[in-house]
Amino acid sequence: MRAPGGGPAIPLRICIPLGALFPGTVERLGAAGVDVACLGDVGRKLVLEAGDGTVFITTRPTDVPTYVEAGAADVGVVGRDVIEERRPDVYELLDLDFGGCRMVYATRDGEDPTPGAIARLGIVRVATKYPACAMAHFTATGRQAEVVKVNGSVELAPLVGLAHGIVDLVATGGTLRANGLVEREQLFGSSARLIANRASHKLRAEEIDALTARLAVAVGAAR
Amino acid sequence: MPTTDGSRTPPPPAALPTGARDVLPLEAAELRSAEDALRRAFRAYGYREVRTPALEFAGQLERGQGAELEHVFRLFDEDGRVLVLRPDLTIPVARLIATRLTDHPGPLRVSYTGPAFRAPQTGKPVATEHRQAGAELVGLAGPEADAEILALLGGALGDAGLHGFRIGVGDVSLTRAVLDGLGVADGARVRLAAAAAARDLVAWRRESEAQPLTVARRELLAGLPAVRGGAEVLEHIAAEVPAAADAAARLGRVLEFTGLPERTVLVDLGILRDWPYYSGLVLEAYAPGLGAPVAQGGRYDGLGGRFGVPRPAVGFSIELELLHRAIAATDPAEALRDGVVLVGAMDAEAGTARAVRAAGVPVVGLPSGDDRADRVAAADGWRYVARRAGDGFEVADRLRGETFTCARLEEALPSR
Repeated sequence: MRAPGGGPAIPLRICIPLGALFPGTVERLGAAGVDVACLGDVGRKLVLEAGDGTVFITTRPTDVPTYVEAGAADVGVVGRDVIEERRPDVYELLDLDFGGCRMVYATRDGEDPTPGAIARLGIVRVATKYPACAMAHFTATGRQAEVVKVNGSVELAPLVGLAHGIVDLVATGGTLRANGLVEREQLFGSSARLIANRASHKLRAEEIDALTARLAVAVGAAR
Repeated sequence: MPTTDGSRTPPPPAALPTGARDVLPLEAAELRSAEDALRRAFRAYGYREVRTPALEFAGQLERGQGAELEHVFRLFDEDGRVLVLRPDLTIPVARLIATRLTDHPGPLRVSYTGPAFRAPQTGKPVATEHRQAGAELVGLAGPEADAEILALLGGALGDAGLHGFRIGVGDVSLTRAVLDGLGVADGARVRLAAAAAARDLVAWRRESEAQPLTVARRELLAGLPAVRGGAEVLEHIAAEVPAAADAAARLGRVLEFTGLPERTVLVDLGILRDWPYYSGLVLEAYAPGLGAPVAQGGRYDGLGGRFGVPRPAVGFSIELELLHRAIAATDPAEALRDGVVLVGAMDAEAGTARAVRAAGVPVVGLPSGDDRADRVAAADGWRYVARRAGDGFEVADRLRGETFTCARLEEALPSR
């Protein structure tokens, strides 16, 4: 494969999220015929090269859109939640149909404190790792919210009075239940997506279209 | 400043406003060289340069854009009217053409180069000042005009030294004709437009699959923003949606007339401009390693009318800093520049310095006896260092790594 204009051949660079989405990503890429053997034992390596020249870049999930948007990777796999929060300027090409979860608003069990807070205080206070998603949801539903950014254990915030509720990503809801929280509203459903850099989507249209088509077949076969 | 204990206080931080930056000599020289190449390309097609002010009335530009300006620097004039630092040059140049060049018989060709400004946004590390170079062809509505603009853009980018770029070409009237031909309802169009604006092809596909269409037509709609290819994709669309055949044929003629290599121009129906004033052709040029288009533009027949004189118009603007970044990613910086650091050029050897300059070689002067000649040449990348030696000069050629002597510097240097 030669780059347009007769430049040197450059391998396709795929940005892969470490963590919860990693196994599903490897499985989908493998099913789509990508040589993923080198991803079997990542160790401490951040950049891995497959036998066919494909380069895998492994990062934290929230950094995947950053690398793809800047053109350090041509395509990447990332959760819809990260796209909603970061709004990167990239193409969202395919729903890879794994890593399913929901972005929800949850409060303590019992009476929902939200209407009362808005009536008396004018605002509801919400703790979240996803401030942009939380703010967009409350703005869109005509309610004022004070969004508090926290970096971990969001469930703690309503228990100790930091916030009336939380906006967070849930898969099974087990963590919410264990902390006496109940889901009140769903913001959106999330799953893993294939994204592409804007320039790569044009400059490497043939390769990226072929990869997308093979992944679409793999997704269909897994259903 | 030395302090009482002999140490130096740290210098004050080189503070600049968010997103502002300085340009140092090497980058400035390369930016200048790219800009000069673009200007030569514009001139070769007879595009004459115009300039517009950096400050404009906010209302004027918003009238052109048809929407509120976002992320712009706003300030007030002496009467309290709202001014903006122009966020791009397309609308100001359209304003200039519609208000100052009204009696031109047309077709009218203008070009421009200048800085545009955008306000910083949290979390987006973009420069607040960026140079744009562009061209507008006014008064021609046919595919020939679109093709000239594409050929000019492709030629100018190539002349500037950009390799491996591609120009994606779409047509909003073709996309509209396809949606008309498929009978897509207004509500669905709004949702499709939102998905396209967000480049969310997953949402576009979901919306498409909910349409009551035959399987083949549904697949065509679902894949529309991902359509990228040559003239064959236009034939496919025309065959499947006869109502769009005319628009597809027009875009086919544009491609035919450009004369650019086949792989340089790519039909791309996923290109949808963020601004509502585009009416036909839309284009984006991409270079390897850049996340954003290096150039963009299209046809905006309605824009002049918003300033009083409706005339068909098509054009593009190139982002100079992005162009330079893409060139710098593939081409090494020029190792050494032709020029001589001449010891004594500022006093005893002033006559020789004049003669060498007249021969076309830059002379960097140092006073007689100054011992920094080699260091200056190394720091600034000059090729030669010359010193008086007897009746002639001893010259170090840093490019070839050799030293030679010559009687007349003005004859020896240009001939090497």
